Amino acid sequence: MKKVININFQGRVIPIEETAYEILQHYTESLRSFFMNEEGRDEIINDIEGRIAELFSEVLKKGSTCIKDDDVNAVINSIGRPEDFEDDEGKVQSQLSGESKKQSYSGAEQQEAYTTSARRKLYRDENDKILGGVCSGLADYFSIDPTVVRILFVIFFGVTFIPYLILWVAIPSTATQQIGSARKRLMRDRDGKMIGGVCSGLAHYFNVNVWIPRVLFLIPFLSFVFQWHNWGMFNFPHFINLSFSPGATLIYIILWLILPEAKTTSEKLEMKGEKVDLTSIKNTITEEMKGVQERVSKFGKEAATTAKEKGKQFGNEVSGVARRSGRTLGDIILLLFKIFAYFILAVVLIAVVGALFGIGIALTGMLPLKNYLISSGWQNVFAWGTLILFIWVPVVGIITWIIRKVARIKSNRNVMTYVFISLWTLGWVCVFGLISSLGHDFSSHNNVTEQNISLTNAAVQKLELKAQPMNKYYNSNFWFHLEPFAAINSDSVYLRNVRIRIVKAEGDSLFHVKMVKLSNGSGKQDADRRASNINYTIFQKDSLLMLDKGIAITPNDKFRNQSIIITVAVPVGKRILIHEDAGWGNYEHIQFGWNDDNWNNNYYDEEAANWRSDVEYVMTATGLRPVHPEDEDHWNNDNENNEAPQRLEEIERQKRELERERKELEKSLNRDSTRNDSSKYEYKQEVPAKPAAKQTGQKQNGDITSPDTYIYSTKRFTM
Amino acid sequence: MDIQNTQSQMRKGVLEFCILSVIRHGEAYPSDIVDKLKGANLNILEGTLYPLLTRLKNAGLLTYRWVESNSGPPRKYFLMTETGLQFYGELERTWNELADAVKALTEMPAEIILTENPHLNQ
Repeated sequence: MKKVININFQGRVIPIEETAYEILQHYTESLRSFFMNEEGRDEIINDIEGRIAELFSEVLKKGSTCIKDDDVNAVINSIGRPEDFEDDEGKVQSQLSGESKKQSYSGAEQQEAYTTSARRKLYRDENDKILGGVCSGLADYFSIDPTVVRILFVIFFGVTFIPYLILWVAIPSTATQQIGSARKRLMRDRDGKMIGGVCSGLAHYFNVNVWIPRVLFLIPFLSFVFQWHNWGMFNFPHFINLSFSPGATLIYIILWLILPEAKTTSEKLEMKGEKVDLTSIKNTITEEMKGVQERVSKFGKEAATTAKEKGKQFGNEVSGVARRSGRTLGDIILLLFKIFAYFILAVVLIAVVGALFGIGIALTGMLPLKNYLISSGWQNVFAWGTLILFIWVPVVGIITWIIRKVARIKSNRNVMTYVFISLWTLGWVCVFGLISSLGHDFSSHNNVTEQNISLTNAAVQKLELKAQPMNKYYNSNFWFHLEPFAAINSDSVYLRNVRIRIVKAEGDSLFHVKMVKLSNGSGKQDADRRASNINYTIFQKDSLLMLDKGIAITPNDKFRNQSIIITVAVPVGKRILIHEDAGWGNYEHIQFGWNDDNWNNNYYDEEAANWRSDVEYVMTATGLRPVHPEDEDHWNNDNENNEAPQRLEEIERQKRELERERKELEKSLNRDSTRNDSSKYEYKQEVPAKPAAKQTGQKQNGDITSPDTYIYSTKRFTM
Repeated sequence: MDIQNTQSQMRKGVLEFCILSVIRHGEAYPSDIVDKLKGANLNILEGTLYPLLTRLKNAGLLTYRWVESNSGPPRKYFLMTETGLQFYGELERTWNELADAVKALTEMPAEIILTENPHLNQ
């Protein structure tokens, strides 16, 4: 059972089996390609088709209902396949071209014709090529060894690079000498296109992988992205920036507009520079036939709609017209939009990948700390899930997607996408699981109890706080550093979560030291337990108060915001010095979870934490003051540099200036009022009431003296 | 040296001459030309004939006439032009010269060639 379709063939309606039609189509297509370079190719094809139509009519006249495969094959056999007459063609053609120029020719003329045709021509040598065959072609032309030319080209690479490209494009390949093969043409490749098919066409022309031109066009996008972020990661070689960066998009658009599109099979073969013979056409067509069915139906629809709009045109003409008229403003705008969209997409994707990559590296770097933060069980699973599925999977996925998109790999694409998306969804689950589980673990605070540290000699004049050397080796150079995790070894991590407050001692003249242990936990009890597990010792040695360097946390305890707050009460008149290694004053530790109450506000008053390490302070009645004044300067203008004193001076000067002006004004006011009646004077006097005694003295002067003396007196006054 | 290649080249050289000689006698339809050549034991494919005819026509040697046909689309009948006749005359002369020369050479006894070759006698 076979489907029969009616075709309009040479003005006749011919019923033909679908398979037979396909064979016929292949055949005419192969003929078309074969006669591609013929001058009168349309006429030849037309004649042959007319003959085929005639033969079909004969078959139908004999009583067949339709044309079958066998009929088509019989017709093809009688007319011959291109491969059968291919051989004849080239020779006959060359002979004829000579003939048609001169209708009669003698032996001598023939001789001449031969020598002209054998005249040396510059070709790129397809058989002996490394890149484009330019060097060996030149070597052939000048009869020298290709190696010599190649060496020269390599030595003068900087100078010869561009000429090489030009020669590559300009010089025909030796392949064009072969019969039935086409010279390569630079065309846009519709089948392999992403935007306009320019890159794909370039790739075909230069016979390179399609991703090479794509990457070259993408480099400026990359550099844009990275320059935008000022990362300076990619400092491209100068010539790449020069040749591709500023106008890659422009070049692309120009090429898109200039290059013709490879539409027919023979054009496609021309583009790829393949030898146009039956085998290659067959291969191409078989490849194309895979998608031909859908394309035929699609084309039919397209043709139908266009036909409605345009009226009477149909068939091949319609497609041609539609395509040609489609190359107008609308298409260009569409292209610009496409380019813009791809640009945005590229920027966003690269930014996302960059961010995820950064987070991924950071989290991977934190892996040594994982045991001290994440409890085993689900939390552990979630943590790993977050790191791998949420962070690294999209990074890998997006990079893979970009590579595949650029290289146009298509197999199993959907499967890959689904796998990536489902893995990432799982990653989201892990993130939420991890956040909620950690949030729960950090949800409660312990009950705060202040603990008095007894000092052996509380009456010293000066107390120095110093960290005692560690009795355990800790490795602090793991490559990613996160405060407050200061260092790590095999069984514990130590936190520098120690803060010191300095307050004024009330009541007596003794130093007092108090300590508070803080921790979070999944509940009050849990938090209390963790707080009591903190092992921290303080002892006094003469004027030194030795502190532990940090809080050691074992993998069993886990990090739950454990911290120590030490309050040192300093009596008025006594001194304190805190060495840098002892602890922090200001609050700067990382807080996981959230504060459900403000119990610890008491411990974070600005004043008490307002000290700097390695500066000696003395407690005064108004608060803590540095012993050495130069420390004070630093202290007050912590962020300012040496300009500070100058600025102060300037302000002082401005202040004096203003003062002088004020005085001046006062004076003139007073003088005016004394010239007028006394009631007004009385009234005015009340306004500048401040330096009354001086004013009266001044006033007497001003009253009797001329304006000159007035100025003089003002000067004297201000001085 | 490929024998088939040489043979086909020989054949091809005279192909146009043969086609023109068929058309010389009057209007001819391509498939008739094929039949006539076949009758003379010279096999040619229609696919080879059509482009040849088109080229000869474009060179001004042939012209054609549409003839309505009851068995299909209108037929193209080819006939000779004045230049075509001249061209044919030239070809015929060349062919005769060539045929004579070939005949003379191929039928010449081997010893004559040898004795007449001065280089071989030395």
